[in-house]
Amino acid sequence: MDEVTKHPGRPLWLSAEQRLIYKTSAEMQAFLKGATVQTTRPQKDKAAGLSTEKKAKAIPWVEKYRPKSVDEVAYQDEVVAVLKKSLEGADLPNLLFYGPPGTGKTSTILAAARELYGPVLYRQRVLELNASDERGIQVVREKVKNFAQLTVAGTRQDGKPCPPFKIIILDEADSMTAPAQAALRRTMEKQSRTTRFCLICNYISRIIEPLTSRCSKFRFKPLANQIQEERLLAICDKENLKYTKQSIAALVRVSEGDLRKAITFLQSAARLGVDKEITEKAITDIAGVVPPKMIDNLLQICFKGTFEKLEIAVRDMVDEGYAATTILSQLHESIIEQDLNDKQKSAITEKMAVVSKCLSDGADEYLQMLSLCSVIMQQSSQNN
Amino acid sequence: MSLWVDKYRPTALGKLDFHKEQAAQLRNLVQCGDFPHLLVYGPSGAGKKTRIMCLLRELYGAGVEKLRIEHQTIVAPSKKKIEINTIASNYHLEVNPSDAGNQDRVVIQELIKTVAQSQQIQSSTQREFKVVLLTEVDRLTKDAQHALRRTMEKYMSTCRLILCSTSTSRVIGPIRSRCLAIRVPLPSTEEVCGVLTSVCKKEGLTLPPELAKQISEKSGRNLRKALLMCEACRVQQYPFSVDQEVPVTDWEVYLRETANAIVSQQSPQRLLEVRARLYELLTHCIPPEIIMKGLVTELLSNCDGQLKTEVAHMAAYYEHRLQLGNKAIYHLEAFTAKFMAIYKKFMEDGLDAMMF
Amino acid sequence: MNKLSLGDKIASSNLNHWVDPSFTDLPAESFSLPGRSKVSCSKAEPKRARKRKGEDSRRDPATSYLQKEPGQRDQDEPWVNRYMPCSQAELAVHKKKIEEVENWIRVHTNSSKGGILLLTGPSGCGKTTTVQLLSQELGFRIQEWINPTNLEPYSSSQDEWRMNGFSCSTQLAQFQEFLLRANKYCCLRMTDDDGATEGKLILVEDLPNQFYRQPGRLHDNLRHFVKTSRSPLVFIVSDSLSGDCSSRFLFPREIQEELVISTISFNPVAPTMMIKVLTRISTLEAGKSCGRMSVPEKGVLEMLCMGSSGDIRSAINSLQFFSLPDTSLEKELWRMKKDRPVISVGKVVSRTNQRKNKSKHTKEQEEEQEQAIGVKDASLFLFRALGKILHCKRGNHEAAEGVPAPALSSHLAHHHRKTLLVEPEFVVERSHMSGEFFNLYLHQNYLDFFSEVEDVARASEYLSDADLLTSDWTSRSTMEEYGSSVATRGLLHSNCQQISVGFRPLHKPSWLLVSKKHRENCLAAQSLFRSFCLTPVSLQTELLPYLAKLTSPMRNQAQIAFIQDVGQMSLRSFSIRLKLEALTDKEPGPLVTDAEEEQESARRWRLYHTVEHNVYCFEVTVLQV
Repeated sequence: MDEVTKHPGRPLWLSAEQRLIYKTSAEMQAFLKGATVQTTRPQKDKAAGLSTEKKAKAIPWVEKYRPKSVDEVAYQDEVVAVLKKSLEGADLPNLLFYGPPGTGKTSTILAAARELYGPVLYRQRVLELNASDERGIQVVREKVKNFAQLTVAGTRQDGKPCPPFKIIILDEADSMTAPAQAALRRTMEKQSRTTRFCLICNYISRIIEPLTSRCSKFRFKPLANQIQEERLLAICDKENLKYTKQSIAALVRVSEGDLRKAITFLQSAARLGVDKEITEKAITDIAGVVPPKMIDNLLQICFKGTFEKLEIAVRDMVDEGYAATTILSQLHESIIEQDLNDKQKSAITEKMAVVSKCLSDGADEYLQMLSLCSVIMQQSSQNN
Repeated sequence: MSLWVDKYRPTALGKLDFHKEQAAQLRNLVQCGDFPHLLVYGPSGAGKKTRIMCLLRELYGAGVEKLRIEHQTIVAPSKKKIEINTIASNYHLEVNPSDAGNQDRVVIQELIKTVAQSQQIQSSTQREFKVVLLTEVDRLTKDAQHALRRTMEKYMSTCRLILCSTSTSRVIGPIRSRCLAIRVPLPSTEEVCGVLTSVCKKEGLTLPPELAKQISEKSGRNLRKALLMCEACRVQQYPFSVDQEVPVTDWEVYLRETANAIVSQQSPQRLLEVRARLYELLTHCIPPEIIMKGLVTELLSNCDGQLKTEVAHMAAYYEHRLQLGNKAIYHLEAFTAKFMAIYKKFMEDGLDAMMF
Repeated sequence: MNKLSLGDKIASSNLNHWVDPSFTDLPAESFSLPGRSKVSCSKAEPKRARKRKGEDSRRDPATSYLQKEPGQRDQDEPWVNRYMPCSQAELAVHKKKIEEVENWIRVHTNSSKGGILLLTGPSGCGKTTTVQLLSQELGFRIQEWINPTNLEPYSSSQDEWRMNGFSCSTQLAQFQEFLLRANKYCCLRMTDDDGATEGKLILVEDLPNQFYRQPGRLHDNLRHFVKTSRSPLVFIVSDSLSGDCSSRFLFPREIQEELVISTISFNPVAPTMMIKVLTRISTLEAGKSCGRMSVPEKGVLEMLCMGSSGDIRSAINSLQFFSLPDTSLEKELWRMKKDRPVISVGKVVSRTNQRKNKSKHTKEQEEEQEQAIGVKDASLFLFRALGKILHCKRGNHEAAEGVPAPALSSHLAHHHRKTLLVEPEFVVERSHMSGEFFNLYLHQNYLDFFSEVEDVARASEYLSDADLLTSDWTSRSTMEEYGSSVATRGLLHSNCQQISVGFRPLHKPSWLLVSKKHRENCLAAQSLFRSFCLTPVSLQTELLPYLAKLTSPMRNQAQIAFIQDVGQMSLRSFSIRLKLEALTDKEPGPLVTDAEEEQESARRWRLYHTVEHNVYCFEVTVLQV
């Protein structure tokens, strides 16, 4: 459909071959510009044509177990309530979803759109753009505007009523440049009759004020452990996995309220393990989490040991291949719980912030960790 | 006659010498038929590459070992030509995109596109995807990494990526979450010893366990280095003797001497000499980060107590600057000068304390 | 021979678009028409046209106007032209230099074999004038190359553009042709000249732009010329201080040796000579103007002379400007002059004496004024600029007159320094070098000027700071100034011992060479040992050094050589492979730009997980509360 809307005046006198070229080039163009929904699908169908059986397995569980309807969305009650109302016929405001990753922002809006339009109309009415797509100011001006300008009818082809507007989903909107965001606000206002926008982002602070004020904002909370556990158990049952209580608990722990992460880890563990058995070790391995014992050991050395021992311990951790960022965040958690006074803790966390910045700048992990640990050592030896 | 490192490199997942459990897991993964993108990470010399090649062999059979080096020219949108070397077999393509400097984004996109779009010629192989192996992913620019995540999704049906990096700290979250991360730790000292002994056996040599232990300790658990050391030992002297000196690379010796020079005297004149030595190391292809790290290790062993903490901070501080800055020598020299200053002060204080 | 035919081709293609009538309505076209018509008639009289090739390109309307009406020009002509020296005595060049040039010309015009002479020196020191004067006196002709202004390709249509190829190549070909013909053919006596001209001298003052991009082509041309040369060829190249030192770039030492190019370099005009000339001119002018204008006072002349920093052309120009009756400028200058402490004549004449005698205070002020009046920026040679920073001259306490600066409180007392005698930013600016390069030079040399390691530690940290400031190439252009400011001031501040070190030789930074070598070696390593499939780091730090220790015969020659060069290190302590290259007194900045470096830095990893830091920072604040 995209081609049709894009090239309404496609010449009819082209030969079949020419038309094919025309089509593929248009497809490529759409592909490159990144209309994900429309273009990846046909390709997948083609590829899957021969061995549907095999392909079915290849779908990531994250996709497989994405909520199909708004009702299935876990834990985000307010949004669900609003969306349900609009499903019953009320108007939908422009939406801004924000919250940590894996809390169901994208799933929610996709499910809602699917329910609103049904599978046929969905492709025509929904434009999904995410950050990986080219989303400079030019794209906003042309692609989004063009899509927004199309007017739509209030009924489906099968006669059921459907809302008389289209939805543009801008995933990962916080990575849009400020000028692109600014360009969006005019479009948003102008096309309010026919188009609803749904902006999705992790950090609302990175969306410019004029945009946030035009949307109703919904914060997505990190999922509660119990909810997460329920979901994971359901998936385990459906996939016939062997699991233990501990392994699921570990999964919940490492995923930190990010359901997508949890499901991905679960699938990976299932793939790696023998007989679809999920072990706690497999989970921690995949997550790349440093065993708590190692962290404790490191802290003990910091508190009681010598610098030489510390050097060895840090070198060992780096040699084991643990990422310094992971060590850092785990250290951070346990430092907060340690028996240190506030002044010491603040000195240490300050150093952690510095180290985190340095690491992301590409500084050497060993040296940074050594420097951090020596601060912990210094602090703990003071007035204690 | 090839190097021992290459000659005795295991080629099948079953034959790997250590982390056998992981090898078994990988085999499971391949046998599933389905195969996500992989992110293999671990320190240098842990056998990441070996593991990956074994995995590929498991996937496609011996065909992956027929490698050819290709020189490709990619034209960026800005009409700039980028030259890049790739290593390829019929089934996979290996490339180090960071060779392309800040044009790495284009390289990644173009290469993966070509690989993904060219259909597998032989239908006899049951896999309908090719593998693109990207090395040194942690050195990719942010731009390229973001481009990568889109590319990863786009060509999922015809192409799998295996990313290889020393650490995940510098790999952006979205990529990490799209890959199955596989951590490859360094082999333990015992494991290194084991490998050395078995290699020597295959060569028809007897390696005294004491020497094996010494080598594995000196290598810092880096297996590649250990094997190279062992081979150098062989060249140096055979039959091996127990107390044989393990040959160390010239640059390491040079660096140690440099560190000694710093410790033995602290003056602007000495700094000038040190600078000349640093330049010498740089012209011998030793990356500045490695120089810095080596210097720190040597210097740390030369001082004690409170001073060590201070040196560790300085090292972290200047190594970070080294990464950010433009001209490495400024930062290397600043580190050296700073060390000289505090070391001198420390020694003087010590002397004063002795006097009273 | 084929060069000739090439030239013909170009001439005909030029012709081509003159015939084309459709563009003649363009104003630029019609403007240049008369000049061009000469070429078009070259078909009829080829020889004549060829000979005039050099001249015909002189299409600058102003000069041709001047040449046409010699009667009128006297009035409005700049004094520089009007008082062009007519004899060697009037020439404000040192006698020895004139003699040198004269000898060279004598030798080379008389012999049938020509040679190449390169005249260098700052602008306005009389290089061209000397040659012209000598040509008159010795009685030979000067055939001069002046870049043809290629208006046509730009104003005419694109198609023609393409047909002609690039204009620069045309220019290049024209230059080739010019050299060839000027060399080959004797001057025709076309009009009834004095007829006494015997020798001929080819003079090249401005070179086609292409040569600046590809000096190799110039060298090829010259090689060709030398083989066949009959007449002497003189190049005049101004040393500019702004770093693009063309003489070094266009005529590297190898070429100079290969082609036996003799070089004579001129010095800036000495103040005494300049004063003499200025006095002569002003007296003449005053006489002419019948009292409307008086001879400026000696002080004024001295001021002008100083401001021009040895450029006589600019000095005369400013004299003319200054002498304009009733200008506000004059008053301005007078006022300034009154404010100023007395300057003895000796000051200008012997700067060195003055430097010792005068109090530093006045000298500083003078320098300021020099700038205020100075028509020309007094540029600093790199050597002096570096010296100013490195020697770290500070004033005495007494010198700081007026309100004394508020004293630093006791805990900061060790940061107290006496007032600086130099303005570091000013020095950097006058060195005409990018801050980054200046820093490199400073870095190369600063250690010699320090005695305490603590000071060095601080100084080196400032340098490291400066590098950090300019590391991001996107903001480099703005940050560069700050970077150099931090570096220079940091060095000055941390050098608190203030020992006088006396003369120290300065060196060129070895870093450029080292980093280039590092890059090259790394690339070479990767391409030679690609078959090992290793990452660069492990290749360079593990494989290569051990390969050097192993004996494995399978490698090819290039690999063996490389391993011997790079894999092994000579362990004799302090063997320094790098030769320090001393910086000479009057050497301008380096030629290499560090575009490569920029790339290097650009590709470095940059990713800011700001959010994560926020988390930690947040905690810090919470805990501190």
